[in-house]
Amino acid sequence: MSKQAYMRVENIVKKFGPFTALNGVDLEVHAGEVHALLGDNGAGKSTLIKILSGVHEPTGGTIYIEGKPTTFRNPRDASAAGIGTVYQDLAVNQLMSVTRNFFMGRELTTRFGALRMDEMNQIAHDEMLKIGINFSDPTQAVGTMSGGQRQTLAIARAIYFGAKVLILDEPTSALGQKQQMEVLKTIKRVRARGDIAIIFITHNEIHSRLIADRYTFLALGEVIGSGTKAELEGEDIRRLMAGGAEIKDLEQELAAI
Amino acid sequence: MSERSESDRLQREGWLQRMLRRPEIGSFVVMIIIILALAFASNGKAFNALGLKNNIAIIAQLGIIAVGAALLMIAGEFDLSIGPMIAFAGMSIAIMMKWGLPFGLGEATPFLAFLITLCMTLAFGWLIGNIVVRSGLSSFIVTLAFWFFLRGLTEVCFRLINQNTNVSGLPDFKKESWFAEQMGGEVFGWFFDAWYWVGTQVSAGAEFTAEMTKSEKLDMINFLSFLNINRKMEQWVTGFDARLLWFIIIAGAAWYVLARTQLGSWIYATGDNKESARANGVPVNRVKIGLFMFSAFCATIFATCQVFDTNSSDAAKGMFKELEAIAIAVVGGILMTGGFGSIVGVIFGAVTFGLVANAVFFIPWIDGAWFRVFVGTVLLAAVFANERIRKRITGGI
Ligand SMILES: Nc1ncnc2c1ncn2[C@@H]1O[C@H](COP(=O)(O)OP(=O)(O)OP(=O)(O)O)[C@@H](O)[C@H]1O
Ligand SMILES: [Mg+2]
Repeated sequence: MSKQAYMRVENIVKKFGPFTALNGVDLEVHAGEVHALLGDNGAGKSTLIKILSGVHEPTGGTIYIEGKPTTFRNPRDASAAGIGTVYQDLAVNQLMSVTRNFFMGRELTTRFGALRMDEMNQIAHDEMLKIGINFSDPTQAVGTMSGGQRQTLAIARAIYFGAKVLILDEPTSALGQKQQMEVLKTIKRVRARGDIAIIFITHNEIHSRLIADRYTFLALGEVIGSGTKAELEGEDIRRLMAGGAEIKDLEQELAAI
Repeated sequence: MSERSESDRLQREGWLQRMLRRPEIGSFVVMIIIILALAFASNGKAFNALGLKNNIAIIAQLGIIAVGAALLMIAGEFDLSIGPMIAFAGMSIAIMMKWGLPFGLGEATPFLAFLITLCMTLAFGWLIGNIVVRSGLSSFIVTLAFWFFLRGLTEVCFRLINQNTNVSGLPDFKKESWFAEQMGGEVFGWFFDAWYWVGTQVSAGAEFTAEMTKSEKLDMINFLSFLNINRKMEQWVTGFDARLLWFIIIAGAAWYVLARTQLGSWIYATGDNKESARANGVPVNRVKIGLFMFSAFCATIFATCQVFDTNSSDAAKGMFKELEAIAIAVVGGILMTGGFGSIVGVIFGAVTFGLVANAVFFIPWIDGAWFRVFVGTVLLAAVFANERIRKRITGGI
């Protein structure tokens, strides 16, 4: 490896009671690269990124940030270490305004704890505009926004707060075609900056081929394949995405019904 | 067509439209109706000098605990232990004032008694909060358990220390203690002084004369009561109950925190979507524990005002107060599911409830139990109205 990975995890294990969601997963991400994390439903992708962003504590394994072992006791720790996450189950508060969501947990305050509301409204508006949504009223409740707009809000928020690793859990799954492409464009723009590593989870093979530089495939909580785009040339990405099952077999099964 | 952008889709509203869409509008309208109805049915007596003082007293009293309950509900939790907490705090202060400080530490001053009591009630609030956030149990059940626990504990303490379930006939501490005066005395005397001064100007020359008939005299008394003048032509009412000051302080602080501070954002976020708030670094557990303690604080202020106002306390104090506080919060537009609401609405709710609770004193022909009938009806209507608001904001789910 020419350059050091910004973040690397080794042998991550996560158990929910008797259930092993992750069983020894390794992963590394580099600045300026998109790392596609692929796998079937329930493979453990969301669980893995929740560990990376401090929501869950791993049962075992180590997270290295710039080579140093680190533990995240809570999402604040992770965010301080430069991990910005856009969750699949959309971490937004519907009843609250765009601005309050944008700055949630990291509000701009005066010395006495009062909110600098005008400034926050302005920043939320400008940052959303930068990645493609012109929102005239940042005091509007998020519950009234479309799914794509919420996704944009979450990405803009992560970038604005200086994410070094941007984690996107199925950011395109709830979107229409045009908004999907908008999100992919946004991801490419973030990648082009060169200073941010992106972890991109998707079920869409085409999307992953369009923008990924590196892949990791998960199945039943374990890594069943990984490598750079070049290394995986010729491998059947679709087969790995399906957790190792042969697509031809699946097609035959389908035809038999 | 391609020039159309997202921002064109949102219609600009005038301030009147904005006002009408505010969540407090429902409670505001109900409040205005009640004020007019009460003024009419009592021939205005509800708002003469003494009527205003008495109404404000109960509004402030209910408002203090409703603010505590409302903040907690915005963060997604209930506190059913408010009433028993009031009884416990009242017991604790009254007993210390009568029997001295615990462990034979000598005489209690009102402030010391309050301080020690506050430490205990805050500790209970902290304990309740910790049990709720750590166990993940519904706060309804946890605080219901504390309802029984604190009611029982209060009565046991009364009987063990005072051989009776109440303390009465305490000396009037307001005279020597500045603190007791601030809790149970009177405030804003200037308001009634000014009222009296205006009254003397308006009524100049009016006096009772021997040749007046009885009904003429009654009319005269009634007239003077609106000028803050009593039958002896002296100033009638001298100040509001000190509770008003505490209500203003507590409601003002709560309003500021909710609307203008980081903590306010965290309170909303905790009640709206706890997981999302946590994922974004909001310390949701600390927010909840803090609010359970704040609710206990409000109950303690309520009790302290009561003890130093009446110089007594008993084990049945604060009965139903937790339910009234929750009802006021709901009528004020706080969502049962949390994440939404404002202190201004809660103030409107407290005014409405206070006036209706007192109505029986001003409208003699009314049965006091109508109060509860009214509360039930308004509560149900408010829940429906709040649900509509929630649906509108979240796009119908
Ligand atoms: N908090 C939890 N408690 C118990 N089991 C859990 C918990 N969270 C996740 N799991 C289980 O862990 C497994 C992995 O879930 P995860 O959400 O990580 O899957 P995923 O790969 O993100 O799937 P999808 O593609 O459907 O989003 C699932 O079987 C799930 O039921
Ligand atoms: Mg998932």
